[in-house]
Amino acid sequence: MTDHTDHPAPTDHDDAPPSADEALALIREQQRSVERKQLGGIPWILGIWAIAWGAGFFALWSGYDGGNPWFSIPLGVAGTIFGALIVGAIVVSAVVGARVGRGIQGASAFSGAVYGISWMVGSGVVFAIGIALTRAGADSAVMSLYYPAGYSLVAGLIYLMGAALWRSVDQLVLGIIIAVVGAIAPFFGAPTNNLVMAVLGGGAFLVAALVMQLSLSRGRS
Amino acid sequence: MTELDPVIHAAARLRISATLASLDEGDRITFPRLQELLDMTAGNLSTHMRKLEDAEYVVVEKTHQGRTPTTYVSLTRRGRRAFEDYTETLRDLLGEKP
Repeated sequence: MTDHTDHPAPTDHDDAPPSADEALALIREQQRSVERKQLGGIPWILGIWAIAWGAGFFALWSGYDGGNPWFSIPLGVAGTIFGALIVGAIVVSAVVGARVGRGIQGASAFSGAVYGISWMVGSGVVFAIGIALTRAGADSAVMSLYYPAGYSLVAGLIYLMGAALWRSVDQLVLGIIIAVVGAIAPFFGAPTNNLVMAVLGGGAFLVAALVMQLSLSRGRS
Repeated sequence: MTELDPVIHAAARLRISATLASLDEGDRITFPRLQELLDMTAGNLSTHMRKLEDAEYVVVEKTHQGRTPTTYVSLTRRGRRAFEDYTETLRDLLGEKP
């Protein structure tokens, strides 16, 4: 192939050597653009989880007796809303998350796959323990404290793992908050624990989404 | 004055090197994804890739994923070092370093 065969110059970046400050600006601009293109979906994932937790746990709180004092919805409907939101959030996360590292192969692809698998393993374990507890005689009041707390613990720890993998302070803060929310929510008793999950958990996801969006559009360097 | 590496010191190759350097060491990227991240035409990217390859700054590997041929690109150790030296020289020139 000969040089410059299908250059759409001059619009394309061409060979003219830039000055030192232009060159440094070009490097920074390009690395910011790469970061935006690769991580641009992450705030959306966090935003979807903010909605799933905020609206989902609010629905559950409104479904239980002694929950929402302003209005109530049948528990079956609340459970369906909650389930649909969580499943929707999982699907969106899997689809958007898989696009983050697309086209890249190597050590980081392995890390990404382990991260993805950890969500399934963690959620599966919480579910299995829940079944065992129910079989051992735990009533529905106890289980309505256990499940949100168990999933919070898993989510919190996986965000902490993500923070370690990608050296992300955003994920570190989010992981700690989610884990702590999981720890304190059961102390409020059922059904108020759902309100705690909705406000503090959903709120943490929302703030994380906004912070990440802001840092991506500004650039970290 | 310190010399800037002429292999990297061209807008297109500088952007290519910056993009490849942002990958973790040991990672490689498919040619089409690299093209997307750079917003460059395939022909333009190939031309500049050839120059980086000649200097042994990048390695281009052609493999198959199932029946689809896939081309992976990564920075060599030499290329990563050259890019780091290059940016350090730029910062020196601009007085950004202590």
